[in-house]
Amino acid sequence: MAETAAFDFREDEHAPVLALRGDWTVDTISGLENGLSEVSEKLTQGAVVDVSSLGRFDVAGAYLIDRTFRESAAGDKVRIAIRGEHANAMRLLQATRKSYAGPAADPRQPTGLKGFAEVTGRAVAAIGEEIIETVGFFGETLVVIGRQLTNWRRIRAVSVVHVMETAGLNALPIVALLSFFIGLVVAYLGARILGDFGASVFTVELVTFSMLREFGVVITGVILAGRTNSSFTAEIGAMKMRQEIDAMRVIGINPMDALVVPRVVAMLVMTPILTFAAMMSGIFGGLLVCWSSLGVSPNMFFARIAEVVPAQHFWVGFVKAPAFAIVLAIIACKQGLSVGGDVGSLGSRVTTSVVQGIFMVILLDAIFALWFLEMNW
Amino acid sequence: MSEEIAIRVRGLVTRFGPQTVHDGLELDVRRGEILGVVGPSGTGKSVLLREIVGLDAPTAGEISFPCFEDDERQPRLGVMFQDGALFSNLTVLENVEAPLREHTHLSSALRRDIAGLKLSMAGLGPDAHHKKPSQISGGMRKRASVARAIALDPELLFLDEPTAGLDPISAENFDRMTQELARSLGLTVFLVTHDLDTLHAICDRVAVLYKGKVAAIGTIPEITANAQGWVNEYFSGPRGRAATRGAAGG
Repeated sequence: MAETAAFDFREDEHAPVLALRGDWTVDTISGLENGLSEVSEKLTQGAVVDVSSLGRFDVAGAYLIDRTFRESAAGDKVRIAIRGEHANAMRLLQATRKSYAGPAADPRQPTGLKGFAEVTGRAVAAIGEEIIETVGFFGETLVVIGRQLTNWRRIRAVSVVHVMETAGLNALPIVALLSFFIGLVVAYLGARILGDFGASVFTVELVTFSMLREFGVVITGVILAGRTNSSFTAEIGAMKMRQEIDAMRVIGINPMDALVVPRVVAMLVMTPILTFAAMMSGIFGGLLVCWSSLGVSPNMFFARIAEVVPAQHFWVGFVKAPAFAIVLAIIACKQGLSVGGDVGSLGSRVTTSVVQGIFMVILLDAIFALWFLEMNW
Repeated sequence: MSEEIAIRVRGLVTRFGPQTVHDGLELDVRRGEILGVVGPSGTGKSVLLREIVGLDAPTAGEISFPCFEDDERQPRLGVMFQDGALFSNLTVLENVEAPLREHTHLSSALRRDIAGLKLSMAGLGPDAHHKKPSQISGGMRKRASVARAIALDPELLFLDEPTAGLDPISAENFDRMTQELARSLGLTVFLVTHDLDTLHAICDRVAVLYKGKVAAIGTIPEITANAQGWVNEYFSGPRGRAATRGAAGG
């Protein structure tokens, strides 16, 4: 172990003497502050530091001695005189004195009621800016897509297909599995509750209506918001941090063309497919429950669907898929491009991207639902 | 400068798959010296640094710190990485405080003062303290990184390409700062560089890595006196001659 740091203060006949003992390093000096600040009041001009029994010494120790002298009655111009021999005490004390730059100002932190108002105001303004930026980005993306559609060759087919695979095809198992379970649960609930009214045969309607109109597409939207938005935002954000996007701009590649449009187009193609898969596997889950607990055979199940569920319910659910796709992809890309230079902003942008994505899926779904119900579709 | 050996590397072998980076490399770094390490790209200078500080394990060989063996603790190492590697979610001052916070029990005021002092030793004034690393220039980031490296008063300081990407004047100031720090704090400095001016200006000795071994080690006049092959090209090429002239003239 290092020797503990200690000091003696004595008034010699000529001058006060501060004698240091033990190791004065960053590891050992933590207990000395209070004692030294008492001593500093007694130090006067001509005070001497006795280093003859000082062990190890480092900048932290030197700083503490220097501060004691600066705060002393003699003031911060006092020279530190040294008595005794030591390997580096003189050198370190000089280096410390030379580098001392004076106390640093603390950063301004808003406090109290005014601070609360300021923070709140800034947050509200930030939300407003965020909305305007996102809507602006939405418009810009539509314009770029429109321009590319008139000129097919500008669409980057390789990127589109790559995104279709990673963000679309690879999400298929999880989307299908989760909707299967939801279909299962809905059918169980239906069989149980409708059974109480003696209407358990309506379970087929319950499952198909809910899966086709709402669950299929909403589950797909929420999974994509969590899975795809986070990866899009992190990818583009990391490229932004590593200046790859700046490099693209300099080379003359528009990041909108190269990064945003392929993602939006790929999602536009894949989300309806995923939605269809979600609907089908949800209905399949319902079918299994109807078969096993209500004794409705698959033949009867399908016959009943053909009889009582018009195709419009499928379309009511299905048309939401491209809308969700485009909103999710644009939110993800926009947040990715808004990442700043530090890691913290990457994390917060990914969070924002996922949260905004899920929020928009549910908000849009509510608006669609109101609209379709009012239209009696 | 003493003859004590601060870092001793013996029989170092490093392989990445079929590629051999170090092939029986031997190196002694003396206590209190500034050793410049040069060599063509891909000769494993940075890998050597990473192995000495313990970030990577060599395939074979031994690395020891002989003159600190009697001490009760491992020698402290400070490392400055090439791009600074500052923690980007902390301010500059908090970056320098981080090692102090982790390893000492200082009061927060004293810790902040010491961190500020280290920053000013590295040449950064108080106005940079509360900025995030992304808000300061590359040169300032390097200085902040050095301040963090010396936060705990290490015995050994490792610098990876300290002057890369700096303008000549900043690079010169940085060199001067390194030398001053090394001298006033009694540091042993292991410096990986490509900057010939740095080698001439501040390095006590230079080690040339070539084909997995130390091809030459010594002061620059010693090395250039009987230089062959790559070493000769390196020091006697147009850039090498210019740096020699600069050092002689200045």
